[in-house]
Amino acid sequence: MNTLQLALRNLLRNRRRSLATLLAMAVGSASILLFGGFSANVDYELLTRHVRKGGHLQVQQRDFYLYGSGDPIAYGLADHGRILKAIRDDEVLSSLVRVATPTLQFGGIAGNSAAGVSRTIIGAGFVAEDINRMREWNEFGLRTTAAPSALQGSAADAAVVGTGVARVLLMCEALKIANCPAVQKKSLASDAPSGDLGTKANGKAKAKANGKANGKANGKAHGKSNGKSNGKRNGNGNGNGSALPADIAQLSLQEAQAAPAAGPRRIDVLVASARGAPNVASLEVIRAEDQGVKELDDVSIMLQLARTEQIEQARARLVTVLAGFSATQPLAVLDFRQLNPFYVQTMQMFDTIFGFVFVLIGGIVLFTVSNTMNTSVVERTVEIGTLRAMGLRRGGILRLFVAEGALLGCAGALLGAALGLLLAAVVNRVAMPWLPPGNVELVPFTVRVWGEGRLLLGTLVGIVCIATVSAWWPAYRAARLDIVDALRHV
Amino acid sequence: MQEQEDPPQAVVELVRVEKSYHLGSVLVPVIKGINLIVRPACFSVLLGPSGSGKTTLLNLMGCVDKPDQGEVVVANCQVGALDDDALSDFRGETIGFIFQNFNLLPVLSAYENIEYPLLLAGAPASKRGARVQRLLEAVGLGDKAKNLPGQLSGGQRQRVAIARALARKPKLVIADEPTANLDSATGAAILALMRSMVDRYAISFLFSSHDPEVIKAADDTIFLSDGVIQSVRRKGAVGLA
Repeated sequence: MNTLQLALRNLLRNRRRSLATLLAMAVGSASILLFGGFSANVDYELLTRHVRKGGHLQVQQRDFYLYGSGDPIAYGLADHGRILKAIRDDEVLSSLVRVATPTLQFGGIAGNSAAGVSRTIIGAGFVAEDINRMREWNEFGLRTTAAPSALQGSAADAAVVGTGVARVLLMCEALKIANCPAVQKKSLASDAPSGDLGTKANGKAKAKANGKANGKANGKAHGKSNGKSNGKRNGNGNGNGSALPADIAQLSLQEAQAAPAAGPRRIDVLVASARGAPNVASLEVIRAEDQGVKELDDVSIMLQLARTEQIEQARARLVTVLAGFSATQPLAVLDFRQLNPFYVQTMQMFDTIFGFVFVLIGGIVLFTVSNTMNTSVVERTVEIGTLRAMGLRRGGILRLFVAEGALLGCAGALLGAALGLLLAAVVNRVAMPWLPPGNVELVPFTVRVWGEGRLLLGTLVGIVCIATVSAWWPAYRAARLDIVDALRHV
Repeated sequence: MQEQEDPPQAVVELVRVEKSYHLGSVLVPVIKGINLIVRPACFSVLLGPSGSGKTTLLNLMGCVDKPDQGEVVVANCQVGALDDDALSDFRGETIGFIFQNFNLLPVLSAYENIEYPLLLAGAPASKRGARVQRLLEAVGLGDKAKNLPGQLSGGQRQRVAIARALARKPKLVIADEPTANLDSATGAAILALMRSMVDRYAISFLFSSHDPEVIKAADDTIFLSDGVIQSVRRKGAVGLA
């Protein structure tokens, strides 16, 4: 009969009280786990969304993050083909990197000349095949998948626009956009001058939807012409001069010469920079999609890793690999957290709420266990006196009651974990749809408790510690009882 | 005060012991300068009316209370010099207790209750088992080893308490009115058992009682009144206060 066995029997002595305490702890632990599981899932959802969209790491010209959006040409990434080759050829990186692909992001004005309307946009160019591979990434086994880009296999001048952009550009009918009141279309088309229309529509849509023209045409043109243009730009002193860069001028000329006739799905894109709007493209819109918010515009190489935990390893290796390119342009490697402050802020908010919930529930557990142990000490005062008379030291009494608290904590935490896992399974089974912040599609409400070792272990240890600490004060009081008074207790 | 001629070897010796308690703001003297010797291997009874200080005196001799003045020497150890842990160890090793309400641990079986003091002493399992079994047989409860206290009668519980008190072979067993909660037949049987234990194990039994049967069975009878020993009657001689 050791202290733990005796403690266990003492707990079983008043089963109803022990059960009530146990249930309070179990419900508390389960609540912590459910919120933690929800928070973990939000983390994975957000992280996956960002990594599918922009990769784990991006190689940019140094300071592009700070100044690039104001002057993308000056801060653009030159020589990206060689950089990409160096990354792909590196033994270490090739084992870590799933996809390495260039991306071009720009701001400008898109116009539907046939309808006489235009609006400002933020656009992204990419290699559709690479982006679709990136969209398949699912390290955390999420139930939500990203739809592949419609641009893969489409014509060279194809583009996808946001529904907001399509609506403002009066392409509802051509692209079968819902929620396009005919009266508005008529009024906009007939009454408003195109310049005003663009400004108004922009004011409404920009903040909400960040209208975005994703063009394979851009991607391909970018991909094809960047090699040439970068080389030229380098040759011209890094493209920082006041003259229009040769690649842009060439593209502008090509587009001007090959511009097809205007049609219901045709838009013209005027790409703007700090030095004006030199780049014109005529694009065939093949689809309109809802778009999320993008926090950062950049010109960079995106690297998607097999696993998120490899970020630091890949970053360290990239620094070595990219050292050879620093002579021509200073480079920086940024991870998705640096590129997406919204993700960091959101998770910090969830962490804070989780901490608050834990403290609240911990407090409830503390007082519940403490109350139970206090009652137990009062009820067993004579027994404490007897044990002390028989030679049990104060430390022995302290250990006995603390052990009872710890056992209660263990049982409560384990029961809570089981309850949390069960409830999480039920919630996941129900798959209630909800719209997370920043999302454009409903996703199944998911609580991720199973497999979250750190969350489970942290909650278990936390609850056991709280229960043990709760028992300490009553145990200390019991140990300090005067033997004569204890034996005399009625 | 009493003076003993040719004092015998003592298991307990009290020297000018005083003890008072606070009742609100009033200090009430309970034990008033008592000198006493308890002989080894004797069946000693403390007699006196309610409030005479019997339980307080037993507590002082049982080392669960400390005197305000004077010295308590138990088994040649001046217990006032011991700190709390040392005193706990000393009690466990030297003194056994039998309580009026038995005070068995309700979650432990008869066997485990008797075994518990041996566990505190760190005795190995083999020695514990043999000792507990012997004691269970000695108190006539060999077949009740697995019974919880709630499954035993009052007399049986007190037998378990006696066995528990004897588990560590103490030099002194202190019993505060051990037959008070028992019917007369059971009380007599318990008394006989304790008497036989004194003879069998050569342990000093010291207990308080109002029971005339106890007085008859005692070797030494100590009369206490108002915190003062009025007389000590030892078999064949009477000491006066």
